[in-house]
Amino acid sequence: MKQLQKFVKLCLGSAMALSMTACSSGSSSAAASTTQTETVDAQKEYGCNAINVYNAGEYIDTAVLSAFEKQYNARVNYDTFDSNETMYTKLLGGSSYDVIVPSDYMIERMISEDMLQPLNQDQQTNEADYDPAVLKMRDAYDKDGKYSVPYFWGSVGLVYDKTVVSEDDIKNEGWNILKDTKYKGNIYYYDSQRDGFMVAFKALGYSMNTENEDEIQAAYKWLREMNDTMEPAYVTDEVIDGMVNGNKGIAIMYSGDAAYVLSQNENMAWVEPEQGTNIWSDSMVIPKNASCAGLANEFINYMASYDVQLANTTAVGYTSVRSDVEKEMTAKDGDYYENDAYTVREDGKNDEVFHYNEKLTKALSDLWNKVKVQ
Amino acid sequence: MKKSRRIFSSIYMWIVLAFFYLPIVYVVFFSFNSSKSLSNFTGFSTKWYEEMFSNRSIMEAIMVTVVIAVIATAVSTVVGTITAIGMSKSKKVVREFITQTNNLPMLNPDIVTAIGFMLFFTSLRISTGFVTMLLAHIAFCIPYVILSIMPRLRRLDPNMAEAAMDLGCTPWQAMWRVIIPQIKGGIIAGALVAFSMSFDDFVISLFTTGPGISNISIYVYSNVKRVNPTINALSAIIVYVVTAILIIVNVIPMIRDRRKGKNYEAITEIR
Repeated sequence: MKQLQKFVKLCLGSAMALSMTACSSGSSSAAASTTQTETVDAQKEYGCNAINVYNAGEYIDTAVLSAFEKQYNARVNYDTFDSNETMYTKLLGGSSYDVIVPSDYMIERMISEDMLQPLNQDQQTNEADYDPAVLKMRDAYDKDGKYSVPYFWGSVGLVYDKTVVSEDDIKNEGWNILKDTKYKGNIYYYDSQRDGFMVAFKALGYSMNTENEDEIQAAYKWLREMNDTMEPAYVTDEVIDGMVNGNKGIAIMYSGDAAYVLSQNENMAWVEPEQGTNIWSDSMVIPKNASCAGLANEFINYMASYDVQLANTTAVGYTSVRSDVEKEMTAKDGDYYENDAYTVREDGKNDEVFHYNEKLTKALSDLWNKVKVQ
Repeated sequence: MKKSRRIFSSIYMWIVLAFFYLPIVYVVFFSFNSSKSLSNFTGFSTKWYEEMFSNRSIMEAIMVTVVIAVIATAVSTVVGTITAIGMSKSKKVVREFITQTNNLPMLNPDIVTAIGFMLFFTSLRISTGFVTMLLAHIAFCIPYVILSIMPRLRRLDPNMAEAAMDLGCTPWQAMWRVIIPQIKGGIIAGALVAFSMSFDDFVISLFTTGPGISNISIYVYSNVKRVNPTINALSAIIVYVVTAILIIVNVIPMIRDRRKGKNYEAITEIR
């Protein structure tokens, strides 16, 4: 028993030592990636020196956090969530965060429920360099950007194996290739009611935000037929690994994940069907109950800067919201040169932003469960 | 007839073992993958371990998990032991009542307990964080400790403590020297259950924690979105530590016994 106690103590001690060395090594690598800027003392400037940040998992190059801490002599408590809905529940539970990064529809909902505070626009200096298309789509959920600064953006499309699927088929049929029995048993279908129904609505030429009962039933019928004839595999994030290994011919994917797949497997190609798709963005916002809003505004502006956006998009593979970073990444020596999935379509006339609609979400979620019943 | 049955039972045993251990072997194997893939092994590398040790969030999550598990185990073991001893000396009605209230939280689904804790803390306007998570862990560990000590106490002769005091023990000594050693097995078992319950709890932790405090389960769950082998490396290290502890716990008494045996032999030889 004594030995066991000693052993546990030893483990604890070494864990502590490790975490300390981890801190110092993390910050040194980040220092190299950011330009030398003079340090600011957060305590003096904003009256507080710690912020709580809540972001989606695997969505950052963590080195940028250490660099921020150094520059502002502050501490960043960084937490991650697995879905917008988890994040929302945590906020309702009274957790106080200073910066969170939800998706467009969730921001729309939070604005309507008065959960966010307006940003201090004087502290936001990076918007001039943003891709105009990103700022334009922001108006759909946050008019004039009063509450949010975009973080990443992208679309939903099809990744396909050029050696298995004919390019003509996919260009001609668009989303309807998911019902082409030539590829039976060879498709990954994204297992979420939002993206699942979006594909059906677009394939039928409707709006993805429709409330028309007939259109919803038609989409349900489309999905039912797809389910009954195609033997689809319903997946979420396993699809990334599956497509890198070429396990199936066609998959519905987010553009950022697709960019990664394309960079790993040269047989894979990307298409955003002409029938239209969902253009989305995840943006940084400050909740009403933030305890350090001044530093939070500064953090948002920092996350929008050139160096940080470059580090994050390199690490994660999702498309940067800054034009200059996008240009750098797709240039001849960039990481995503000639990678179709990295560049988000800007002129698709059927492309839409998803809007929050509680009733519709509920109805579609019930139908979606019925679709997957064999 | 007999032989075929033996073959069947050994096949059955191997299938069970495979179900238990293959997933673990798989996780450990892919923690050494050189690429980001989780299903396609491209070569040996330890880079995911390096990545894991240089990731501050993971190291903090490990820290939080271990500290919470150790404190929750210690507190719940003490509280549970005291409660169990008290129960064994109290009236039947009281004992029955406490047993039932003790069983309820264990039967209650975790998610209900979790939401209950969250609403409780929110309604008292206590901001959630390390302390609330620790309190919740202590609360859900205590019933398991009590449950594992109770049978030992029931087997104990109720006159034991009185006999000890008759022979000159103070009540305090009677408890420490007589009762506790008798129920030691139950206390250790309870502590181990409490530790493992606290170590791998996800649901209750998720709802009772606050900004900046995540344990391993919360970290892993919120990062399953785009899994990479760092999660494998983290899981593999837990497997190594558990295996090491098991080996140490089992081997040390064996060595001690052997040494004792040798001493005994030496003594008898001298004689």
